[in-house]
Amino acid sequence: MRKVLAIIRREFVERVRTKWFWVGTILGPLLMIGIIAFQILLAGRSGGERHIAIVDATTTGFGQRLVTQLGAAVPRFHPTRVAASSGADSMLLREVEQKQLDGFLLVSDSLLDYGVAEYRGSNVSSIADKEQLEGTLHRLVFAARLERHGIDTLLVKQADIPLRIATNKISGRKLTGESGAQSFMVGFGMAVLLFVAILIYGVNVMSSVLEEKTTRVVEVLISSLRPFQLMVGKVLGAGAVGLVQLTVWVGSARLLSGAKYRVAGAAAGAGFTFPNIPTTTLLVFVLYFLLGYFLYAAIYAAVGAMSSTESEARQAQVPVQLLLMIPYVSFFALLNDPNSSLAVWMTLIPFWSPIATPVRWGATPIPVIQMVASIGFLVAAVLVVTWLAARIYRVGILMTGKRPNLKEMVRWIRAG
Amino acid sequence: MSQTILAADRIVKRFAGHTAVDGLSLTVPRGVIYGLLGPNGAGKTTTIRMIMNVIVPDEGTVRLFDAPGTARDFSARIGFLPEERGLYPKMRVLDVLLFLAETRGVDRRSARVKALRWLERLGLSDWRMRKVSDLSKGMQQKVQFISTVLHEPDLVILDEPFSGLDPVNAQVIRDTILDWARTGRTVLFSTHIMEHAEQICDHVCIIARGQKRVDGTLAEVKRLHGGRHLSVAFDGANGGAAQVFADRRLVAKVEDFGQYAELELTPTVDAQEILKALVASGARLAKFELVAPSLHKIFIDLVGADATRPDARPEVARA
Repeated sequence: MRKVLAIIRREFVERVRTKWFWVGTILGPLLMIGIIAFQILLAGRSGGERHIAIVDATTTGFGQRLVTQLGAAVPRFHPTRVAASSGADSMLLREVEQKQLDGFLLVSDSLLDYGVAEYRGSNVSSIADKEQLEGTLHRLVFAARLERHGIDTLLVKQADIPLRIATNKISGRKLTGESGAQSFMVGFGMAVLLFVAILIYGVNVMSSVLEEKTTRVVEVLISSLRPFQLMVGKVLGAGAVGLVQLTVWVGSARLLSGAKYRVAGAAAGAGFTFPNIPTTTLLVFVLYFLLGYFLYAAIYAAVGAMSSTESEARQAQVPVQLLLMIPYVSFFALLNDPNSSLAVWMTLIPFWSPIATPVRWGATPIPVIQMVASIGFLVAAVLVVTWLAARIYRVGILMTGKRPNLKEMVRWIRAG
Repeated sequence: MSQTILAADRIVKRFAGHTAVDGLSLTVPRGVIYGLLGPNGAGKTTTIRMIMNVIVPDEGTVRLFDAPGTARDFSARIGFLPEERGLYPKMRVLDVLLFLAETRGVDRRSARVKALRWLERLGLSDWRMRKVSDLSKGMQQKVQFISTVLHEPDLVILDEPFSGLDPVNAQVIRDTILDWARTGRTVLFSTHIMEHAEQICDHVCIIARGQKRVDGTLAEVKRLHGGRHLSVAFDGANGGAAQVFADRRLVAKVEDFGQYAELELTPTVDAQEILKALVASGARLAKFELVAPSLHKIFIDLVGADATRPDARPEVARA
């Protein structure tokens, strides 16, 4: 046992000493803070003042109405009316160029008749600007059309109440106060973290195995430890590093959890709330990281033992990576419909559940029976795969030359 | 003390296509320096790997310390330096030594004391905090040697310990091995360079094509396979020496320089008979000496033919 501890210790200490460990550990929280800052920046931006000219070619006076009502509906829009004329176009273009104007809207009678208008401006790629302009225009045109057919303005006003659906996730008969967007963010964040962490630490185990193999240190080690002890020591050592790193990441996410960030002066509703992350979600996350890591690390150890060079190993691990990528790329589907049969299957299949289950957990309550089955299958798979991998590892670490094919691998597993 | 520390009994290892070790038996008594000699591809490394239980013999048994168990069970009592030696290139020298000592069951604190003492002794103190990859090949080899003996094993097994070393460093390692053996410990090492073996071995075993050609103490081997060469000098009168030299029942080959001659005896004759015949012939002898051949000469005589057609290296082992 002391020998296994020596292996674990070496794996851990040598990895923690690398600069990549520190870069990765610090970069995680920085990235999260970066996302928040970015969101705040975006929120702050959409509140910018816009100077818009309305080029009025209407014969009904609708243009003038538009100017007053647009200004009233969206306070940050400052519309001015310009009568349509042959020189107006080039004059306005010059003003946009000189940044006196953000853009101008061309309206004519066809706006009321066919709903056609044209906006020219330097801010056309701003989705917020376009949506607000479009929405306001739509309401005004809608009202004007109804009035044209003799419907009472007051009636129209009453009918035209803007609607907003608030989302609030229910978990265990309780409102979590978590919005749809926040649920999505938690799910997405977990999928990325799990995928990256399992992959990175799995590949770490692989290169560690390969290093010992190519330097022949393994011959010395094998003469004092059983191959199984060596492999388990490696997996645990690299896993401990992963756990430390994830704890830092998740811990910082937890600190930011639920915190609200507001920018002074931003319009109401603008700002950004870091998603609230419940403790149970964190527990599920860590549990599935550990089990998923053990599962994949064992496979990666076997892949390392089968290969003779770094490039060969990188090639051989592609199928393993693809296997792990399946639940990662399906996270969209998992979040969209967390109770679909696809989602249920992904919770149960051990190679996929390490990523799929926490993502699903973040989106919907999972029936207890499914959770029990999911964890049970995963634990069983970890045991079986570790056993198989150890047998491949035992033969593989002392081999040089070409990579074994499937038939040879089966023979390795059966041997002794 | 003639306790057997290591006994291999008719061990066999076959790889896809050829037999690397073919029924080899050897016995290493306690406290000797034992040389496992053979040309490239003779099966030295395969034999050592089987002794270390890195690979399992297809047939035959290896017995260590006259007790049941494999090398792994005795890992605290055995030091092993593999052929294509390597250390973790990115680790610090001292850390590698501590780690390897730990895997042999030494606790870190006493390992540290011993490691620092060894580094000092081999002139590597200033390098203890450097990465292994910063060291020259010779220095790395010294570090590896330290890792082999740090846990003070009773038996040290070294596969080609001198390969790639310059003469100065080879001398250092050789002296260290000799010192080590003087404390009553046992050393088994393989080499294909006979000069190294001749300088330090008590026992040798020469193998070729996976089979033993000869083994025994160095003196025995020389007596059995040498001892057929005579150097004779005369003190003025050589009497009837020429007739004695010409007797093909006694002398197989002769180079006669008048006052001095070198003879190769026939396989059956005793040198004493030649001495008697020479004295009887009236020759006055100034020198009559049985010349021990060099180990190198014996080696070439025994395996020369095989060494010219080496087998392919056993690259792919069979599970």
